[in-house]
Amino acid sequence: MPENTLTDNSLISPAQAFLKGAVIILPLSIAVIPWGILAGSLAVEAGLFDLQAQAVSAIVFAGSVQLVGMGLIKAGASLTTLLLTTLFLTSRHLLYSATMRTRISHLPVHQRLILGFLLTDELFAVCSHQTRKQFNFWYAFGAGFSFYFIWQLASLSGIILGQSIPNLDQYGLDFAVAATFIAIVLPTIKKLSVLVTVVIALILSVVFSVLEIEGGIIYSSLIAMSIGYAVSIMRKEPL
Amino acid sequence: MIWLTLLAMATLVFISRYIFLEPKLPIRLGPKILHFLHYTGPAVLTAIWAPIVFHQEGQLNLGINNPYFIAAIVAAILAVTTKNVLLTTVLSMALFFIIN
Repeated sequence: MPENTLTDNSLISPAQAFLKGAVIILPLSIAVIPWGILAGSLAVEAGLFDLQAQAVSAIVFAGSVQLVGMGLIKAGASLTTLLLTTLFLTSRHLLYSATMRTRISHLPVHQRLILGFLLTDELFAVCSHQTRKQFNFWYAFGAGFSFYFIWQLASLSGIILGQSIPNLDQYGLDFAVAATFIAIVLPTIKKLSVLVTVVIALILSVVFSVLEIEGGIIYSSLIAMSIGYAVSIMRKEPL
Repeated sequence: MIWLTLLAMATLVFISRYIFLEPKLPIRLGPKILHFLHYTGPAVLTAIWAPIVFHQEGQLNLGINNPYFIAAIVAAILAVTTKNVLLTTVLSMALFFIIN
């Protein structure tokens, strides 16, 4: 387990936990800045007013949904198409929500609503491997809120600057996402079933990506999870 | 109309994130489901990072001339040996920007 998350977060003050969360998610926050800028500029391009364009990031707050959704709005797609696509892209959050249920559902309602709203891939990444004891509202809130804040600033830059920042996608900032997720996932591989899950997810996600299958992330994940689960049952692995 | 559209999109995203966090949802995640969900993190996070590393701009690249691949191997070694997320991310990103 990474040093920053192994310590028992129940023993530190809310402010310290908040700050720890904000620091641990920083590489991911920086990595999504180009996407935030892109999301902002695409919203303007799709014909939204500045306030509406910012509202997309402020209330929808989901990178993939925003990027694809703005493309659909610009193309004049029907509301049904737009909402079905949104549902499809957002479906992996159902898995995150279910996975975090034992850690979050007992919290007070305002804390549940806040963490639910902030439950992005990135927040899930920094919280999902924590045990129930390590999990701390303020740590998760610090991570989720700082990520949200940076996403808003990035979108605002995109709205103001539009397309005037050239080739943002060429700097390879997406590698930061890969590096962080590798750093989070690999140390959790302590059982054969988890290793099998990772290997299957790796192969299938790349294959689906090459084949341009929409929703490849969710399909490859569900198949990998099922096989990992089956391996664990067959080998009678302890939980 | 655009406001209603945005609100509808936001509602769908929020519901998908919040629904299982609601204790009143009459669903009990039994031990089998929880066991299955235990694999969510490794599976979904890998399914997000793997295409970034191996598939760029429509091209599959499994060779050692792929800077993403080289830096990802270094990240993997650092992750397993140090188990420190920040250190792994910062060092492998530095390497990536040097070789890219």
